[in-house]
Amino acid sequence: MIGVFLVFPGLWTLYIGATNFRLTGVSAREPDFVGLDNFERALTDQTFYHSLWLTLIFVFGSAVVGQNGLGFTLAWALRDARKWIRRTLEALVLLAWILPSSVVAFLWIAMLDRDGGTINALLGTVPGIAWTVEYPLLSIIVFNIWRGTAFSMMLYSAALSSIPPSHLETARLAGSSGTQTLRDVVFPHIKRHALTNTLLITLWTFNDFTPFLITASDYDAEIIATFIYNKAIVGGEMGYSGAISLLVLLMNLLLALVYLRVARRRLA
Amino acid sequence: MAGIEISALTKEFPGGVQALNGLDLSIADGEFFALLGPSGCGKTTLLRTIAGLETPTSGSVRIGDRDVTRLPPGARNVAMVFQDYALFPHMTIEDNIAYPLKIRRQARETRLKHAHDVGSQLGLDGLMRRRPAELSGGQQQRVALARAVACHPSAFLFDEPLSNLDARLRLEARTFLKRLQRQLGVTTVFVTHDQAEALALADRIAVMEAGRIRQIGTPREVFGRPANTFVAGFIGSTPMNLLPGVVRDGAVLVAAQQLSVLDVPDGEVVVGVRPEYVAVTENGPLAGAVATVENLGTSSLVTVDVDGLSIGAVVPEDREVEPGTRVALNPTRVLVYRDGELVS
Ligand SMILES: Nc1ncnc2c1ncn2[C@@H]1O[C@H](COP(=O)(O)OP(=O)(O)OP(=O)(O)O)[C@@H](O)[C@H]1O
Ligand SMILES: [Mg+2]
Repeated sequence: MIGVFLVFPGLWTLYIGATNFRLTGVSAREPDFVGLDNFERALTDQTFYHSLWLTLIFVFGSAVVGQNGLGFTLAWALRDARKWIRRTLEALVLLAWILPSSVVAFLWIAMLDRDGGTINALLGTVPGIAWTVEYPLLSIIVFNIWRGTAFSMMLYSAALSSIPPSHLETARLAGSSGTQTLRDVVFPHIKRHALTNTLLITLWTFNDFTPFLITASDYDAEIIATFIYNKAIVGGEMGYSGAISLLVLLMNLLLALVYLRVARRRLA
Repeated sequence: MAGIEISALTKEFPGGVQALNGLDLSIADGEFFALLGPSGCGKTTLLRTIAGLETPTSGSVRIGDRDVTRLPPGARNVAMVFQDYALFPHMTIEDNIAYPLKIRRQARETRLKHAHDVGSQLGLDGLMRRRPAELSGGQQQRVALARAVACHPSAFLFDEPLSNLDARLRLEARTFLKRLQRQLGVTTVFVTHDQAEALALADRIAVMEAGRIRQIGTPREVFGRPANTFVAGFIGSTPMNLLPGVVRDGAVLVAAQQLSVLDVPDGEVVVGVRPEYVAVTENGPLAGAVATVENLGTSSLVTVDVDGLSIGAVVPEDREVEPGTRVALNPTRVLVYRDGELVS
């Protein structure tokens, strides 16, 4: 099963990446084998690097810092809150996570809209700012933080509740401040969880396509998933986008390996 | 160093559990004080309220000459040893011991030196670079003690610190703890549900039941003259005989036999006698057949049926009797309880 669902698409991508397969035209019927040409082209393509750079900012800003940070902060702040407050907030945050992408994207388009958008109404900006046009990258970063925080929050909540209360109380009795307690007791306890969480949300965000639904093909927010889509479906260059997909796959693999290494070394 | 004053302390948990019920207690400076009682009687809650980890519903706590009722735990200068020791798994032993000093912003060198001094005082030399997981239970317990000692608190608060040790180690640790407390002379409150531990360690004991204190006294007082039938039944490794009896013209009668003459008003009473104070003899006021014999090591607990009452007596190992034999019992140090309270 795993072979069919993972290996076959993998090999297919590899094959496609090595051809000049197009959606339309002559080479759609009879793609020629072009070897490493597509890969060579990718490595010299400025737009590819541009997209990669945007992806890096997007992943770092929205996942590594945003979701991680906000998720942990929420979990930490809510740990002593009353039950109903915690339940309500958890439900709200979870809703953002489980709603279908299309619904969520529509909500955000409405929220960020220039005329009559919720954000502009809240900020009282007249005339309104067209957020998705003027700050496309920021828009999708904020969007993705909002979208994915639930997972981090739940994971950190579980991690925090695994800290023995007596450890936190020992810190309190010693007169430890909030930051000191976080440094000496909390982080050492949850760093394994933090690493796993960071790996998961990084990979998800790296490959996330939902931002496209908000910023469409805007060049200033053309993260890698959008880039591949634009090349393959809009541009019709299946071969080239296949090659890039493969490169992205390799990057993800590399990332996972680095994480695992760090996990084994630092936490052993 | 300081004494601890507790007055009218009440703690009600959300949901209406009354864990402490108008409790008054005064612990002297340097005293080794045990809180003893059955499970759920509020010992831990009292200790945590002294530490500041729980906020009392009403009443006050004073440590030394300060009212600490509204102070956070960190400002009370007390050290607590938890049942699970609460050692930080990611820190070495020396860092664990020095942890409270780190919070007080002592330089790393100073605090590690201090940690090593305390560590060697507690027999932890050679273990200082290890992690808690690499230590035995007894060693971990001493590390937890060392961490408490290292921060020079005005009081130690121990919540069943010996309960995770096996029986043999527990005795060792008990002796160790008592000597350490003598050396340091720091006021110590010790929670336990093991009456033998409390008797062995404490200068004074408070016996608690359902959020109230039923008796405070030295181990001798609590053991020899329990103030009520609850304490009488709780203290002692063999349960005290609590027998229905009557007092007629000052004579205390059990099973229609006179045990002693005491200056108490006539009426129905409960007569308490420790098995240790019941002699098995040829002629005594009570007579009956031996039902069971339980070996206690250097002595045996003999249960005798006297007119339908079961009376326990402890006999030394060279005076053992066979089940079925008829014997006479001669109780001494007879206590008389009326309505559950000691009257004589
Ligand atoms: N956080 C809490 N919330 C609600 N009730 C509690 C809480 N902590 C303790 N209680 C209740 O308060 C009472 C006293 O509990 P406490 O832990 O002080 O007992 P204890 O004497 O230490 O018992 P043990 O010997 O089993 O440790 C119990 O009835 C317990 O159920
Ligand atoms: Mg307890």
